[in-house]
Amino acid sequence: MSKTYVVPEEIAAANTLEAKLRHLKNIKGSFNVFRVDCGSCNGCEIEIFAAITPMWDPERFGFKLVANPRHADILVCSGPVTRQMYYPLLRAYEASPNPKVVVAIGACGSSGGIFHDAYSVWGGIDKVIPVDVYIPGCPPHPATIIHGLATALGILDQKLEFKEHDNGSSESPKIDKSVFGNLLFERDVLAKSKQLMGYLYGRKLFDKYIKAIKESSDIQDIAKTKKTIERLSSEEKDPRYKECMRTIHNSVYLAHMKQFKEINIADQIEL
Amino acid sequence: MKLLDMTRKYGNATYNYPFEPYVVPEGFRGKPAYDYEKCIGCAACAVACPSNAINVKLNEEKTKLVWEFDCARCIYCGRCDEVCPTNAVMLSDEFETAVRFDRKNLLERGCLEVEYCEKCNKPFTTKKLIAYDLERLKRVGWDEATLADKTKYIHTCPECKKDITVENSTQYFVRKRK
Repeated sequence: MSKTYVVPEEIAAANTLEAKLRHLKNIKGSFNVFRVDCGSCNGCEIEIFAAITPMWDPERFGFKLVANPRHADILVCSGPVTRQMYYPLLRAYEASPNPKVVVAIGACGSSGGIFHDAYSVWGGIDKVIPVDVYIPGCPPHPATIIHGLATALGILDQKLEFKEHDNGSSESPKIDKSVFGNLLFERDVLAKSKQLMGYLYGRKLFDKYIKAIKESSDIQDIAKTKKTIERLSSEEKDPRYKECMRTIHNSVYLAHMKQFKEINIADQIEL
Repeated sequence: MKLLDMTRKYGNATYNYPFEPYVVPEGFRGKPAYDYEKCIGCAACAVACPSNAINVKLNEEKTKLVWEFDCARCIYCGRCDEVCPTNAVMLSDEFETAVRFDRKNLLERGCLEVEYCEKCNKPFTTKKLIAYDLERLKRVGWDEATLADKTKYIHTCPECKKDITVENSTQYFVRKRK
C-alpha cells in the first residue's frame, strides 16, 4: 500500500534531530514509554513485559511504562499495522508530546515480518509514521529490547552496519575428505542425523559419529568398527547421542557395507 | 532491612546487561551469520525462508547473483541454517540487532559470479555452484568415463537440457520407424 499519511508541519518542525537530542538530554534518567499494539500477535508484548521484570530491570535507567500517550516520551509500536489499527496509531502519534521518539519493535514492526505481503496490513510502522529505532526479532529477546531502548536514548551504539560482499573467488568451498572414499556415505549420515536430532544437534551428532568412525583401525572391518562405535558411544554423557550414534551405525553404515559383504543380525549394535 | 538481608542471602537476580556483556544460553537462535566464502548461491535458503527475509536474485545487468538478507524480516526460525549444504548460513549468538534511523543497516548482501549457459548464453546459476557440484561428484567414486558422461550437460541451462532431450528422443523414434 502506498503512503497516505503526511506528517503535519508543526509536528515535523518540532521533531528535528536536534530537538530530539536536546530532549533526550533533558529526560536523561527518566523516560516514559507508551506501548502501541498495532495488530501484533502479543509475542512482542510478552517480551516487553519480560524486559521490565526485575530480571532485566530497565528502571535502573528510568524506563517506565505509562498508560497514556500524552505522558509518553517514547512510543513503542509493535505489529504490522493492520487496517483497523491505522487510525489509532496516528491518534497515539499525534497525541504524544513533541519531540517524540518512535521505536518499531519486532519483525512485524520493523518491516512487516512474516505478514509483509498480506493484503490487510501496511507492512511495518515506517510505512505510516517516521521511525527512529528499529528492534528486529520475532519476538526480540529482552536483552535486544534493552539494547534497542539504550540505542534510542543514545547510551549504546548500534552494532549492525550495512554489509556488501563482492568479488569473491569462483572456486568451490573446501570439502572434507570422505572416510570411505565415497561422499554418499557422509550425505546419508548427515541426512539421518538431522532426521534423528534436528539441525542443531544433528550437526553435532554428525561430527561425533564421523570422529568415532575415524578412530576405527579398519573401517571396512565390520566387527572392529562395531566395537569402536560401541565403546565411544558408551562414553557419551548424553544418552541421546549414545542411542542416535548406534541407530546411525545400524541403519546407514551397515546399509553401505551391504555392497561389499554379507550382513548378519549379530553385526547390529544393541541400542 | 529485612529485604536487604534476604537479597544478600539469595544473591542478585538482575542481569547487569548494558554495562557488562550478556552471555546467551547454548542453542540460542540469534541473527543468521553469513559466510560469503562458503556460499555457493544455490538459493536453498531463499526457498526455505518463510518470511522472505533471504532473497536470491539476479542483479539488473544480469552479471551477478545477489544474495540478500533483511534482518528486519527475519523470524529466527533457523530453516536457512537447516537447509544450507555448505554451512554458509548459521545462526549466531548475536542479539544486539537494534539500529537507528536507517533500516538499510539491517541488510546484508553478497554478489556471486554467474554461470552462462553454453547453448543459449543465458545466466542460470553461479560458477561456484558448478565448481562445488563437480568437486563433490569427483569424490563419489566413479571412474573418469562415467564422470564425463554424467556431467556432460553441467554447463547447460535446464531449458536447453530439455530441448536436447526432446531432440534426442525424436531422433530415436524417427530411426526406429525406419
